[in-house]
Amino acid sequence: MAQYRRLGGILAITLATTTGLTACGFGGTTSDEGTDGGSTTLDLLVPSYSDATQGQWNDVIAGFEEANPDIKVNLQVESWDNLESVIATKIQGGEAPDIYNGGPFAGFAEDELLYPVEDVTSDETYADFQPTFLENAQVDGTTYGLPFIASARALFVNDALLEEAGAEVPATWDELLESAKKVSELGGGVAGYGMPLGSEEAQAEAAVWLWGGGGSFGDSEAITIDTPENLAGAEYIKTMIDEGATQADAGATDRSPLFDIFVQGKIGMQVGLPPSVGQIESDNPDLEYSIHPIPTKDGEPFTLGVADHLMAFQNDGDKQEAITAFFDYFYTADVYVPWVQAEGFLPTTVSGSEALSGEEALAPFLEVLPDAQFYPTTNPDWAATDSAFKALFGQLDGDKSAKDVLAEIQDQVDAG
Amino acid sequence: MKDLLKALPWIGPAVALIAAVVLFPVGLMFWNSTRDISQSGVDDGGVGLANFATVVGFQYFWPILGRTVVWVVVVVGCTLIGSLALAALLNKAFPGRRLVRMAVIVPWAASVVMTTLVVHYGLEPYFGIINSFLVDVGLISTPEGYGWTRHPGTAFAWAMVVAVFVSLPFTTYTILAGLQTVPGETVEAARIDGAGGLRTYFSVVLPQLRGAVSVAVLINIINVFNSLPILRVMTGSIPGYDADTIMTMIFKYMQNQRQIDLASALSVIAFLVVIAIVAVYVRVVRPLEEV
Repeated sequence: MAQYRRLGGILAITLATTTGLTACGFGGTTSDEGTDGGSTTLDLLVPSYSDATQGQWNDVIAGFEEANPDIKVNLQVESWDNLESVIATKIQGGEAPDIYNGGPFAGFAEDELLYPVEDVTSDETYADFQPTFLENAQVDGTTYGLPFIASARALFVNDALLEEAGAEVPATWDELLESAKKVSELGGGVAGYGMPLGSEEAQAEAAVWLWGGGGSFGDSEAITIDTPENLAGAEYIKTMIDEGATQADAGATDRSPLFDIFVQGKIGMQVGLPPSVGQIESDNPDLEYSIHPIPTKDGEPFTLGVADHLMAFQNDGDKQEAITAFFDYFYTADVYVPWVQAEGFLPTTVSGSEALSGEEALAPFLEVLPDAQFYPTTNPDWAATDSAFKALFGQLDGDKSAKDVLAEIQDQVDAG
Repeated sequence: MKDLLKALPWIGPAVALIAAVVLFPVGLMFWNSTRDISQSGVDDGGVGLANFATVVGFQYFWPILGRTVVWVVVVVGCTLIGSLALAALLNKAFPGRRLVRMAVIVPWAASVVMTTLVVHYGLEPYFGIINSFLVDVGLISTPEGYGWTRHPGTAFAWAMVVAVFVSLPFTTYTILAGLQTVPGETVEAARIDGAGGLRTYFSVVLPQLRGAVSVAVLINIINVFNSLPILRVMTGSIPGYDADTIMTMIFKYMQNQRQIDLASALSVIAFLVVIAIVAVYVRVVRPLEEV
């Protein structure tokens, strides 16, 4: 009997140790295919950016179907968490949507599933995109993604604190260091510059500094982190920390909680995003702040851009005209700008930027948008790079030298 | 053999279930740990034991393993001592005992992630309630507080505190159940023989709790070893690998680096370590034997 009891115990233990590994899911959805009564049906698969996304798309589709009575549009909205597994399942099942809204597109382009953008847009629509965004949407010189919405970064400055400390809004690193130190000296827990190197978004703060010093993360061919150009930015981060210009424990501070502190008025300067404007408006409308370009080594303007894309799947190749009609309709400023504005992002078209130029809160972002630089997301090693930055970059706040930290990140990328 | 065949219709569903939810995933984990799997999940062929070599050869592997041992020993040890004391208290009759017994269940009933997040926010500089308190009573001199969750040592220590806190209810109740099976006569007899309170507890009551305690410890070891959420929340923002245990490292391989093959290899190692600990424990303590 004791033997059986032991066996039972071991089984129970086995169960206990393995249940954590069984959580994997298989999901599938079906969609209606094809055409009815001579009309074309477009399948549209999009992620949900906010609670308003579905309504926004329904309005766009209603307007489009009115203008093009012979084309029907099927809308499917998924959460960001599900999106990539849904599209993968659909592609495997031969039911790829005609139009898809997502982030990475290089994998689909390499598998030759996508229309080149020039084949599914009119010349006017194509020419209206910001050139930097088009370059970011290319694989081997061909554009496969339509830049859809953008996000950029800029320096949020607490005017009240800077005035109290007698500091100037900085344009270069040296000015930033000087102003931040003055603000830090106010005491009372106030920090001059909010530097989030914690795992949440270390790659973003890394880009702000390394690229601002003339470096880069590489391109679609090679990831280059351990370079002399990048070292300048990494070393300046160490200088900022060592001279007490930042908040305590920069290496393990995440971005969102730190920005909450900025909103509370305890931080002089921090890099923020367009939605940060709305956050300040709702949480602490009394904050006296202004938005400026990110300081760089030599004062040359630049911003870190992130763009999501629309892409058109070829499928049977018989819906090219309908897709073109849809894109041309969607990217007219009257349709496109309200969509982008409602979601709190930035437009990727020249006409869109012009239409929004009256928006005071967005103006500083729109100004730097043409200078946007992007993560090398078309490089297959980008995911490994991203995680290496998240895991290791914060070590700059510590005993390790800047050179060692960059070398360790490069090693992890090369091994991945 | 004939008996076995006769029994098959009755045990068949259970065997099938165990095969599907226990043996198959374990087998798959072992299989994956010997493959080269790309980031998008494509199997690029077998690599033998190369994944294990990579995992063990990682420069932080041994510190991580050592930290895992510290984590299990300290958390289970503190939980046990705290639970023995709590159970002894709850076994006494006093006004409001029912309420106190209910209160002890709360950490068990609450989600672990929620409990950890509450403590995590309390430890935040600037607005955390624990930091504010320590600043107000003058224990911390910086006005924004101390970054408890931003330094590997303190974050790990606080994670242990939370782990003990959420492990207490189950252990306490297991021991409490054990206490109620201790016959009153044995305690009475000890008293008559002139034993004091401490002597009675350690020489008469505790030995009779052997069954309850050993089962509680066994289950706690497995639970604590496999615990991810507390460490994930408490030490998640710390760069490098100075606050990781095997479980958080598996998570980093899988979620951050998307290296399913390495994550599987480390899972296999973790699995074997747990099996080894449990096997030794079962041999030495025999928790499943009757007293």
